Parts: sequence; structure tokens; C-alpha cells
Amino acid sequence: MSGAGRYETLIVERRGAVGWLEFDRPDVGNAMNAVMFEEIERAWAELDADPAVRVIVNTGAGKTFQTGLDVVELSRDPAALREQSRRTKRAELRLTAWHNRVWKPVIAAVNGVCAGGGLHFVADADIVIAASDATFLDPHVSIGQVTAYEAIALVRKSPMEAIMRMALTGRHERLSAARAYELGILSQVVEPPGRLGAEAMTLAETIARNSPAAMRATKKALWGALELGLTDACRAGAGELTAMWGHPDQEEGPRAFVDRREASWLPLEGPSGDNSGKDRS
Amino acid sequence: MKYSSFDCLIVERRGPVGWLINNRPEQLNAMSAHMRDEFAVAWKELDADPDVRVIVHTGEGRAFQTGVDVAEIATDGQGMQRYRQSVEDWDLHFTAWQQEVWKPVITAVNGICAGGAFHWVADADIVIAASDAQFFDPHVSVGQVVAIEAIGLLRKMPVEAVMRMAFVGKYERISAHRAYELGMISQVVDPPGELRDEAQALAEKIARNSPAAMRATKKALWGALELGLTDACRAGAGELVSMWGHPDQEEGPRAFAERRDPRWQVDDPT
Repeated sequence: MSGAGRYETLIVERRGAVGWLEFDRPDVGNAMNAVMFEEIERAWAELDADPAVRVIVNTGAGKTFQTGLDVVELSRDPAALREQSRRTKRAELRLTAWHNRVWKPVIAAVNGVCAGGGLHFVADADIVIAASDATFLDPHVSIGQVTAYEAIALVRKSPMEAIMRMALTGRHERLSAARAYELGILSQVVEPPGRLGAEAMTLAETIARNSPAAMRATKKALWGALELGLTDACRAGAGELTAMWGHPDQEEGPRAFVDRREASWLPLEGPSGDNSGKDRS
Repeated sequence: MKYSSFDCLIVERRGPVGWLINNRPEQLNAMSAHMRDEFAVAWKELDADPDVRVIVHTGEGRAFQTGVDVAEIATDGQGMQRYRQSVEDWDLHFTAWQQEVWKPVITAVNGICAGGAFHWVADADIVIAASDAQFFDPHVSVGQVVAIEAIGLLRKMPVEAVMRMAFVGKYERISAHRAYELGMISQVVDPPGELRDEAQALAEKIARNSPAAMRATKKALWGALELGLTDACRAGAGELVSMWGHPDQEEGPRAFAERRDPRWQVDDPT
């Protein structure tokens, strides 16, 4: 798989078992224009479908991670803006891994400013790490816009007061990487900031050593749990758990452990295939 | 009250505090089929004992708990089938939440807490840990899915940390200190050898509060995890009002005014 030349606003590539999706409009804070809307959906699908990709890292080129919609450019492209408005209204966004139903583990590696709509990619990642100089802010209300999706997901995942404060202080305050770590919004601060890519790669390679099928079922169970009350979520989770029974990885894992060798996992077959080993044989 | 005799657990009362201690230290307190059956009984007996106001759950040896004893369950002929059936039928009885114990439950994590052990972290009301306790979830590293324990944890602490632990598997551990920062636990006990004394002291503090008020509170707060905010407040109001007219509501303010310890009514727990 080679992304060269096929993306104008993103860098999409595979390094070993790790797929990289990098926002690449550094001159405009990696803001999303109409081209990026289309490309990002395609990139998630491509990385999800590539069986060699076990884990995906999402980061940004330059000094910013992501700053949301490119309002300047979109104001000159009414058709694209209308389409995005339609998707927003119908909750049909296709920006993040979660929107695009990517069930491989996704790490957001926040390399700098993450503002407004950029928070989608933090909220919808499984794991978040950040460079020590990264900052988080949500300027929506400072320009008369409403914050909804990004903050709603973050409210499920982090202490709520911090998210409300960010939503209501708008562009007049920023959350530091260190405070985001304290709050559990992210799990690792990388110092010096220049090491972020290397640390993200190391973490992704570590995760890539685990069973792809078990991780997919785990991801479905945990994200699905955010949809339901506790008891219903546990019942649904039990369904994901038992769906994996009989899968070859469940024999291979303990055997590799006993043999003191790296496990040889079955690769995932499609982006949205069944987890059951019975269906494979 | 006399408790049953247990092979895999120690169950006893010290003052107002019921203790449930995992006691398979050689197997790092992994849960055998027999131990699982004993949990179901032990929770119910401690809940039924009117002298027990608060329950502390901990482990013997260097581990708190390490999940299901896969070796034992896979080799005893019928254990695996029973275990699978119980998950498929959502018919689990080894935690206080699963057994509908409405007395306050403190989990005191005394060492390694791995994989299925998070059931008792997720399902406790309060969690404290020895400073050398370590938390990790190796499921996906051996081809297993993480579900029910983590789903409980997700409701109670920052989600990103739970997801990272689930996907990193056996290759990373969370320290007691980080678990404290994240709000997964509320107290780190140092030196580790003082864990049980600290747990007893905390439990005795809690035991000074109204048992009936704590039961209604526990029902309201756990019930809230089942519902959206407005519905949870409505259901919580039901628990609140159910306490009105209870003698403890007179006794509490009176004891406060008279500067003495209140004499709470001990309800029939059933």
C-alpha cells in the first residue's frame, strides 16, 4: 500500500504493522476543507481494509494537530459547506475512525494545537498521547458557534467539569497537555515534543502484538457500552465476549505464552467481518 | 452469625466490618469454579449478617486477584462449559454488584490486579490499594476479549485510561499512584503492609453512618449508571423519598445536637 500521490491533504502510509493518517495542510492549521472531507473518509476505509495494518496512528504535520473546519475556504465553496451542514444535521459525519466504524485500535498523537473540530479526533480515538507543548481549546462559542458532538463524546470519557469549562471559555483559555494527562483525557505526554512520532510508533507496535480479533471485539464492546445503561451494556458486552469463543487466537494465545514465543495471530479479514472463528473455517 | 466454611476464601467479621479475602495465594487468587461458587455464598452471607455494616474485599499473598483460573477451569471436565454458559446467560454471581449487596463494599487491592480482577474494582463502591499494587489487563495478549469488567470501569473513571489498558494488554502496567490520579482508587497505602489496617479504619468510619441511608444512597447511585441523567434523577428521588419517616432521620440530627454517636436502626437487609 502506498499513499503517495493519491492524497492531497493527508499523508497516508503504512510502516510495519502501523497505519499512519496524518493531516497535511500545515499552512492552515491542518483545517478541513472539502478535499480533506472526501480524503479522510477514504483514508480510514483504506487503512481499515489493509490486513497488514494492525493499529492506526492519527497525527498532524507541522505545529498544529487539527483546528476544525477551514471556514475561510468553505465560505468560497457553498456546495461543500452545504454537504457538511447536511451531514452535521443528520449526525452523519464521516470524519473520525468512530464515524467510519473503524474497529482497529486508533491512537491520536496530538502534535500541537488541537482546536474546535479537531477535538473530534481526540474524543473518538481509543488512546490519546500528546507532545508536551500540545494545547487544547474549543473556540466555537467565541465565534457564535455551538459545541456539540466533540464535547458530548468527551463528556462520556473524561471529567465533565473540564470539558464544560473548555466549551464555555472558548478561545480565551487553553488546556495544557500536562493538565489533560492529569484529567485522564490522555495517557502519555511526550517530552521533548519532537519524540512524539517515535513514541506513537513504539506504542502502536506494542499494541500490534495483541490479537487483532480480540481487540476488535474488545473495541466493539467498550464503545458499544457508551450507548447503554450499565446492565444492558454488560449483557451486550457478554455477546462480544462469547462471539470470540472458538476463534483460533484463543488457543494460540495461551500456547504461545507457554512456549515463550510471540503469538501468531490470525489477521483480520475485512473491515467489518464477523469475529467468530466458525465463520472462517 | 456463623458463616459457612470456605476453601478458597476467608470470610470473617471484625467489629462492624465483614472481611472477604481471596485465599488461593499459590494461584495468585485466580478464580476456580469452586471459588466462584463460594463467592456467591459469601457475599450473600455477609449481606445477611446484621452485625456487618461494611464489607472489605482483599487478597492473600502477593496478588489481589488475577481473573479466571483458566488451567483449572479447562481441565476439570465441566468447568469451562459452566463458565461459558454463565456468561452467555448473563448469570454471574461473583461480585457484590452481581449479588445485589447494598451494604458499602471496599476493595483493598493488595498487589497484582490483572484481567478479570477488575470485576471487583469495577463493582466495588470504594477502592484503595497498597502502594506496590499494579493494574493491567492481559486479555488481548492471549487472544481474549475484554468486556464486562472494563464496561463497569468506563462508567467510573476516565475512559481513555481503560481503553489504553485494554489494548496494550500485558505490555504495560498502571501503578497505584496513577490509578489514584485517575480516580480509579481513592487512597494509596504506604507502606503496603498497612493496607488491611487502613481498610479496617476506613470501613469503621463508614460504619458510623446510617445503614438505611447508605443502602438507599447506594441503590440511587448504582441505579444512575443504568439511565440517562433526567431519568436517573427521577429514580434517585424515589430512593430519597423512600427514607422519609425512617427513624434514622430523627436520630441523626438528635445525636448531632446532643454531641453523641447516633444509634441507627438495623434493618432487615432483605
